[in-house]
Amino acid sequence: MSTLAHEAGMASITARADAIAAGRSRTRARRFITFFAIFLLVAWTVEVIVISDTDWSRILTGSLLTTLGRFLELDWSLVPELWEPAVETIFMATLATLAGLVLSIPVAWLGASNITPFGKWSYAFGRFLMTMSRSVHEIVWGLIFVSAVGLGALAGILAMAVRSVGFISKTIAEAIEDVDPKPLEAIRAAGGTKFQILWFAILPQIIPVFVGNMIFEWDINIRRSTILGLVGAGGLGLVLFRQMAMSNNGGIAVVILAILALIVFGEVVSYYARKAVI
Amino acid sequence: MHTVLEVKNLRAGYADREILKGISFTLNADDFFAIIGPSGAGKSTLIRCVNRLVEPKSGEVIFNGKDIVKLSPAQLRHERRNIGMIFQEFNLIERLSVMDNVLTGRLGYTGTLRSVLRMFTKEEIKQALVLLDRVGLADHIDKRADRLSGGQRQRVGIARALIQNPKLLLVDEPTSSLDPKISREVMGLIREMAREFHIPVLCNIHDVDLACDFCTQVIGLQDGIKKFEGPPAKLDKQALQEIYAMEVL
Repeated sequence: MSTLAHEAGMASITARADAIAAGRSRTRARRFITFFAIFLLVAWTVEVIVISDTDWSRILTGSLLTTLGRFLELDWSLVPELWEPAVETIFMATLATLAGLVLSIPVAWLGASNITPFGKWSYAFGRFLMTMSRSVHEIVWGLIFVSAVGLGALAGILAMAVRSVGFISKTIAEAIEDVDPKPLEAIRAAGGTKFQILWFAILPQIIPVFVGNMIFEWDINIRRSTILGLVGAGGLGLVLFRQMAMSNNGGIAVVILAILALIVFGEVVSYYARKAVI
Repeated sequence: MHTVLEVKNLRAGYADREILKGISFTLNADDFFAIIGPSGAGKSTLIRCVNRLVEPKSGEVIFNGKDIVKLSPAQLRHERRNIGMIFQEFNLIERLSVMDNVLTGRLGYTGTLRSVLRMFTKEEIKQALVLLDRVGLADHIDKRADRLSGGQRQRVGIARALIQNPKLLLVDEPTSSLDPKISREVMGLIREMAREFHIPVLCNIHDVDLACDFCTQVIGLQDGIKKFEGPPAKLDKQALQEIYAMEVL
């Protein structure tokens, strides 16, 4: 009796094992087909985009090295002309960050769910402004402002300021939403106004986030301002653009090195500034 | 002895759940009332209805000759200056100094421009110094609030409430975040200051022994209904069972 039951049990286990093994080999086959299809897709893409679209004679005849070599003949004579645009780049980034901060305050006020003035409508509007600022690339903002206010640093500053609003106002709004409500209650109980609650109970709580993110955004704006010159918005980018127009490869390389140095400078400054604040 | 606060048939809560079901009591000039009762009985709601941090649904809260419930927002802000409040979790502004925290008690008397610049009067600063000295924090004036211990923080909270020169003190579970020894010190300090400045106190407290040791009158609350009112001596076993019936079961 027990043996019979035992054998019946064994038989059912064998049947299940067969079914599982069959299922696993089906999965294996499906997996193989998937990988093979991906491989074909990649190979086809490389063929169409890279292999047939590239001037191979240029690369294979060794002119590649000659061209790269031309970039290495650094044009140091350019260096004295770089100081002014470099300083301009830093000033642009700084002014843009401050302007971005000023623009961010009303946006954060609208977009923080706990203090937004007109309920879900103003909240949605604030969030919309944040998304709009971030979803348009700084180059595009640059083009818009160059056509609005003409070539020069002002266009770059405005472009970066508007682009900064997305990040700064979003982090401020989120910090406001995360504020500990207990000190707010204390000031309300003492007869404080809404403004006094904002100033004494909310502001001190968001200051660290606020300053930390400003420094972070300043660092990013230094990067942005080096590139915004490409659309005519001043700074080192504009010098880079001129060197490219003149096909002065050695000059291009020097400007790129200057940009690199500036970015490293921004990074170092923001590291120490953030450490000092937090 | 004149009446400072008269609560009449106070009701509060939401559409589907009533928290206070008609509470009435009278608080006189030198009273120290303790409100006891199980969690969820409505102690905190009751105390917050007095200065309308929670909006009551109906009833009257007569304070200073006016019905608080009927005041406009501006009148309410004005009247809140006369009601000091001490909180369970101190409700200090962590990143501000002890001095600045105490001075926030004066915001009801400070204009917008002067509050932007944190320009409090010399008189107010002097009063803050005197109070901080009285609560034993003379050496910690410039420390940030987040550097203080729990007991010290509650002392800042007491000084902040007193600098309003209040005519009534609302005290919400002042000892729940403190250990037993510090709790007695804090309760003692509140009683001492209240006596000195002749301020009546309405105090939520879940600790019955502490309530009996420090207050003059006990109100027992259960499920939004007043089950007991009398001096601590009358709070016998039967009365306690009545108040805490839900927990006994």
